[in-house]
Amino acid sequence: MATVSYSSWHVFSRICAGILGSYVFTWGLIALGASSLIAAGTEFHEATSLVSMLGFLVFLCTFCWAFVAASVVRVWAVLAGGGALMTLSGWWISRALA
Amino acid sequence: MFASFRLSFAWLHTWFGLVLGFVLMVAFFFGSLAVFDREIDRWALPQTRIEAQPMPSFDKILASRFATITEPDPEEIEAASKRVTKPLPDKLTPAHFGAYTTHRDPVLGMYVGFDVPNSTLPDDHAYGEITIDPRDGHVLPRDRLALGSAFFYPMHFSLHITWYDIGYWIVALAAMAMLAAIVSGVVMHRKIFREFFTFRPGKKLLRSTLDLHNLTGVVALPFHFLWSLSGLIIFAGIYFPVLDKMMQPLVEAHEREEATHTGLDTHPSGKPGTLASVDAMVTAARERWASRGVPGEVGFLFVNHVGNSNASVSIYRDSTDRVATAEGLHFEGATGRVIFEDPPTGPIETVNGFLSGMHLQQFKHWTLRWLIFFGGLLSSVCIATGFIFFVEKRKHAHAREGHPGSRWVDALAVTTVTGMVVATLFVLVMNRALPEDLAHRDTWEKTSFWIAWLLTFVHAAWRSGAVLQARMSKAWAEQCWVIAVSGALAVVLNAATTGDHLGRTLAAAYWPVAGVDLTLLVSAFIAVIVARRLQQHASHPSPATASLEEPEHA
Repeated sequence: MATVSYSSWHVFSRICAGILGSYVFTWGLIALGASSLIAAGTEFHEATSLVSMLGFLVFLCTFCWAFVAASVVRVWAVLAGGGALMTLSGWWISRALA
Repeated sequence: MFASFRLSFAWLHTWFGLVLGFVLMVAFFFGSLAVFDREIDRWALPQTRIEAQPMPSFDKILASRFATITEPDPEEIEAASKRVTKPLPDKLTPAHFGAYTTHRDPVLGMYVGFDVPNSTLPDDHAYGEITIDPRDGHVLPRDRLALGSAFFYPMHFSLHITWYDIGYWIVALAAMAMLAAIVSGVVMHRKIFREFFTFRPGKKLLRSTLDLHNLTGVVALPFHFLWSLSGLIIFAGIYFPVLDKMMQPLVEAHEREEATHTGLDTHPSGKPGTLASVDAMVTAARERWASRGVPGEVGFLFVNHVGNSNASVSIYRDSTDRVATAEGLHFEGATGRVIFEDPPTGPIETVNGFLSGMHLQQFKHWTLRWLIFFGGLLSSVCIATGFIFFVEKRKHAHAREGHPGSRWVDALAVTTVTGMVVATLFVLVMNRALPEDLAHRDTWEKTSFWIAWLLTFVHAAWRSGAVLQARMSKAWAEQCWVIAVSGALAVVLNAATTGDHLGRTLAAAYWPVAGVDLTLLVSAFIAVIVARRLQQHASHPSPATASLEEPEHA
């Protein structure tokens, strides 16, 4: 195999980003997606079903991406940072709605 | 992570597939058995070998049975006591009753949900459950194990690891690894259509294993993908409880709004009330179904806010004629008046219901049921050949370096392939061999399963020393012989202890028991062929190394 040799720390970081980072990102996407769809007038169960189904496919994509992306720092920034940002905005929209 | 996209995916495929593949074997194998869980229950509980029964009379039978459930099951109380901020009171208040059955159930499951006060969860309940014979209402003994629906079925999604539901999370991660393995597997192999028709059993083991891995992978690709995905979707509420955890005010606002147009109260009134005849409500529901020309038995009966003036009764049509979507009719408990009928679901809810319904298979379609069973076995073969490929590819190099990697992978592969079948057959044998009136019989059966499985691991680990010398572990063939003997023994013991031998069950066309017996015999027969092939192979080992057309694979 023509491999570039990476430290085990790097591999561990990729695995954590793939699993935990994707979890945070998906959580945020569900939070923001559900609250925005409801705010836009989508029926409650339709909105929550859609985002929870899509969530697993999004998780799959970000999980795979964490292993093929060139920079692990970027992976962490997008997944954890984006996830936290979406979670906060989702929470804020839901408060405004309730 | 590596020099190329494909190499990164190959790494992902190999390592996640390997580590979580052992969990996936459990999920797919026991998931396949769960397709026939009710039939396995009949085999394991001879006193329930009767025809499927409709929902019995509520007024004559169910009402008095529900009244006997006065508290949650001990393990439910224990679990609930960890979720509360103040100690649980001695007496809990029943909140709702439920009874459920399907077209394959001769017995009826019943439960009472009790309010858990001061819980950290919203709307928390602890449950007391019983199973009854619907013909006369007598309660079946609690310590008899429904092997299919209460052991194999929950095994496939929870591994029976109940501590913080950790089993659900391990299986979820494995399902996600399965999806990623499918995506990465497709990326690694450009010749996907050729693989549909490529199996060269006569070639070297490494090549034929990879052929079979690819073939089973692509032939059932939609099955592998959709069953992994729908399994995750079914438990989406456990894996991503986003709304419960951080949007409770929004959820409550929606519930209040929904209650205004359904007329179904979200909270009990607190004033005592009585129930009108539930049988009359069932009759009204049946008339409504008949007038629409849809077949219908009651699949699920639910009484909410029991004992309160605003109690309601919900009657759901069973799902024999459709993949999904609940069809509920809701009555005012005090009067028997129809309050609300579930409207047709929206497009997204319909898709969600279809994916869950397809996975859970409450519909009546035996051809499809068998196809789903074989789909699960194909997934198992695909994962198992992945293990074998991993070992075959590395064992010569590992043997030269004295690296124990392939040895342990081989031992775990034996444990989760043949060992799991051995443990399954052993619990069937014990189910028939243990004295019928043994106290805590269910615990004995479960314990025997885990011990048998542990022993197959010890055996596999002991025999895997051969892999260190780049030879095949004898454990594979030896465990196949155990499968052959215990499969046949289970059939003999069933005939001896119940009298329901194949001659009788086939003549009576009693398929639940005849089907299990025949499957056991076929499995035993296949195990004999495999064991003999493996032993022939061991006496004429193939040449050491093989060259592969896809050197980057795994």
